Amino acid sequence: MKKNIRDRKHVRFCTDFDKSIVINSFQRRGWKEVSPEDDWNIYWSNTLNCRNIFNLENGYRLHDNQLINHYPNHYELVRKDLLVKNIRRYRKDLEKDNNPLAEKGQIKLADGQTVNRYLYLDFIPTTYILPTDYNLFLDDYRKSPQTMYILKPCGKSQGAGICLINKPSKLKKWSRESKKYLQHQLTSKDTYVLSRYIDNPLLIGGKKFDLRIYVLVTSFRPLKAYMFRNGFCRFCSLKYDTSLAELDNIYVHLTNVSVQKHGEDYNVHHGGKMGIQNLKLYLEGTRGRVVTERLFEEMQWLIVHSLKAVAPVMVNDRHCFECYGYDIIIDDNLKPWLIEVNASPSMTGTTTNDRILKYNLVENLLSIVLPPDGVPDARWNKTPSTESLGDFDTLIDEEFLNKNPEINSDRNN
Amino acid sequence: MDNLKEDAIHHTAMKLAEELKNLSIYKSFYSDVQKLDPLSCLTKASAQWEKRIHKSLNSMCSDLETSLAKVRSQSEQEELTDKWNELSTYNLGVNPNMPSSVSGFATLEAERIGLGERVTALGYAPVIQEYLKKGSPQCLRAKLWAQVLGADVGTQHIAHFNRLKKSVLEVDLMIDKLIFKDVQLTASNDDQYFVFEDLLYQVMLCFSRDGEVMQHLKGCIGNPLNVTIKGRQTSVDSITVFPPSGIIPFHGFTMYATPFCYLYDDPVQLYFIFRAFYIRYWHKLHYISTHPQGIVSLCLLYERLLEANEPLLWIHFRNININPIRVVFKWIMRAFSGHLPPDQLLLLWDTILGYDCLEILPLLAVAILSFRKENLFQVNTLQNVDAVLADLSTISVISLLQLALMKPQ
Repeated sequence: MKKNIRDRKHVRFCTDFDKSIVINSFQRRGWKEVSPEDDWNIYWSNTLNCRNIFNLENGYRLHDNQLINHYPNHYELVRKDLLVKNIRRYRKDLEKDNNPLAEKGQIKLADGQTVNRYLYLDFIPTTYILPTDYNLFLDDYRKSPQTMYILKPCGKSQGAGICLINKPSKLKKWSRESKKYLQHQLTSKDTYVLSRYIDNPLLIGGKKFDLRIYVLVTSFRPLKAYMFRNGFCRFCSLKYDTSLAELDNIYVHLTNVSVQKHGEDYNVHHGGKMGIQNLKLYLEGTRGRVVTERLFEEMQWLIVHSLKAVAPVMVNDRHCFECYGYDIIIDDNLKPWLIEVNASPSMTGTTTNDRILKYNLVENLLSIVLPPDGVPDARWNKTPSTESLGDFDTLIDEEFLNKNPEINSDRNN
Repeated sequence: MDNLKEDAIHHTAMKLAEELKNLSIYKSFYSDVQKLDPLSCLTKASAQWEKRIHKSLNSMCSDLETSLAKVRSQSEQEELTDKWNELSTYNLGVNPNMPSSVSGFATLEAERIGLGERVTALGYAPVIQEYLKKGSPQCLRAKLWAQVLGADVGTQHIAHFNRLKKSVLEVDLMIDKLIFKDVQLTASNDDQYFVFEDLLYQVMLCFSRDGEVMQHLKGCIGNPLNVTIKGRQTSVDSITVFPPSGIIPFHGFTMYATPFCYLYDDPVQLYFIFRAFYIRYWHKLHYISTHPQGIVSLCLLYERLLEANEPLLWIHFRNININPIRVVFKWIMRAFSGHLPPDQLLLLWDTILGYDCLEILPLLAVAILSFRKENLFQVNTLQNVDAVLADLSTISVISLLQLALMKPQ
């Protein structure tokens, strides 16, 4: 079964998706497609199959020339409730160690309230994991009843099951109507999160958007992460409107392309997508360089710390790499908020430009993940050359920083 | 053998030339040819073109069974006022069979920004122009352009814009349909500009109502139509120039305005910068005239530059039966808007302001062809030539221009 291949021509791949972009990229390298039961070298799997492979009960062991595109417990980063738990724990741990990163301060909110917030690590909107945090939510709601919330199922994607909540009665009504919620209440399994809704998003042309940023991780300990330069904004097709009448209009509030695609105003030429470089150009031109640079630095900052938060609990299997789709919303104070992280970001191209972007993404990803000879090898030191980064930028490389402590101390300043 | 043949042809040619000169009608024929005045030729061509456009407008009008200009009904005015900020959703009931119209300390960058900040603080236009020749950093551009064009917005500008808006809301002009169509077909489908479509509707509609544009361009834009507004009492107010700006929009007209959306999010400021650029430069790109910066002259300049600097490429185009201007005309006429990505386009428009001329456009066109000539030599159909030149996303405008301007003549 274990074959010692040293020849890029004999690389075998398998995939759970029929996504042409991924398959074409593999085939262009002369790789041969096989089934998951065969001896493969690289597996572009779905999350379920990956979890099964690593399930101890199955006794499956990957050999040195096998790479897979997920970490066994990626859900620590990707499930909405676990992400919140991990970040909370990370911040508390830093606080206990008196690390200046965890410094807190008084922040004045728009409604006049003063709250105690982390100064540098306040990048997720206040979130309540239901039903555990329900009473906490009620307390906070009474203190500021004008706040809008968004309710999301922990394990779903593509905008499914999401609704906006502006008062507890709406939540109660929804919980009465939703049988699934009751079921899980009985088993006391947390399956929903309620987050403060960012009702003051930055608007361009009167429309709300969010950002999709691709982040490749090849190792969690030491942390090695790369950010793809060509992220994009996903715009709602309708103008942003916070009136109650539009509370349930998903075309106004939800930026998921899977939602917007079905709207009347969806345009197939651009698909509501604008490149992040153009966002930068627009912000620099209309708001100035200083605030724009700060925004982009803060986005990188929040990505790095979200990864650091889950790094201690991730199974750092050397056969694994993962390309995450980060969803970020910018508010009208130019502050970025982490909304969620996706482990299987869509690899389908919705427009010509989008297809080109995703081809590049897969190509550059492979050139980072594979050693110079192009053959999957889990024993490789995972140190890609600068040329092989392509359109990725190194976000953090802890191995490099550990070897060069003088740089490390500069960063902490 | 070939030499003999060539000599024979040469001698025949000489002989024919001699005989022509000895014809009795020769002298008068020759002097008549000299009289052909290029100016009157062009004026005639320009007037004929204008006539065709006016005729087209009138027939479009009868096709659509509407009037060129009419007062809007109360309900229509209310609806339009409500929708003013999101005109991309306003349904004009556009006829899909409508005929299509005719057709920018620590690093060197920080140093550049530091210099730019001093330039903008000084606020002296010639200094700004000099600075713009090398391109401006994006963060300073909005201010610099407003300063150099004298288009900073004050209360009188806001009042003027609101008057234009009122005019749009009150009177329906048939070209509104053209404007809507144009924005829909160009900006709304473009992944660089679609987010700004609502802003662009406002700007383009107001522009069409702005009589000051016509005043500024008197003599350059021919003789616009005068029409009666249906629904108004016969008076001075009931006749309007159609449209008041004197400019009839065409497919792609909106692209003259789209790049400004990356600099200004206030519609009034956006409007006046666009208007200033249009009055100073863009109208020359689509009106036939003998102006040395007009589209005709720019095309001629392009041809001369190409022939002089890339003779092999020139010959190659001739050999494959492609008129060289055909390949770049759309770039020049649109000042590259929609063809270069916004960041590069804005640098190009910096240089237009910096050198205060449009000759930069044919210069860049030739520079791009020169840059891609190896690929161009490989192809021999117009389709393939267009394919080689379709993607300009990797072009670095400032470097190319500097190379071109430094080339020994």
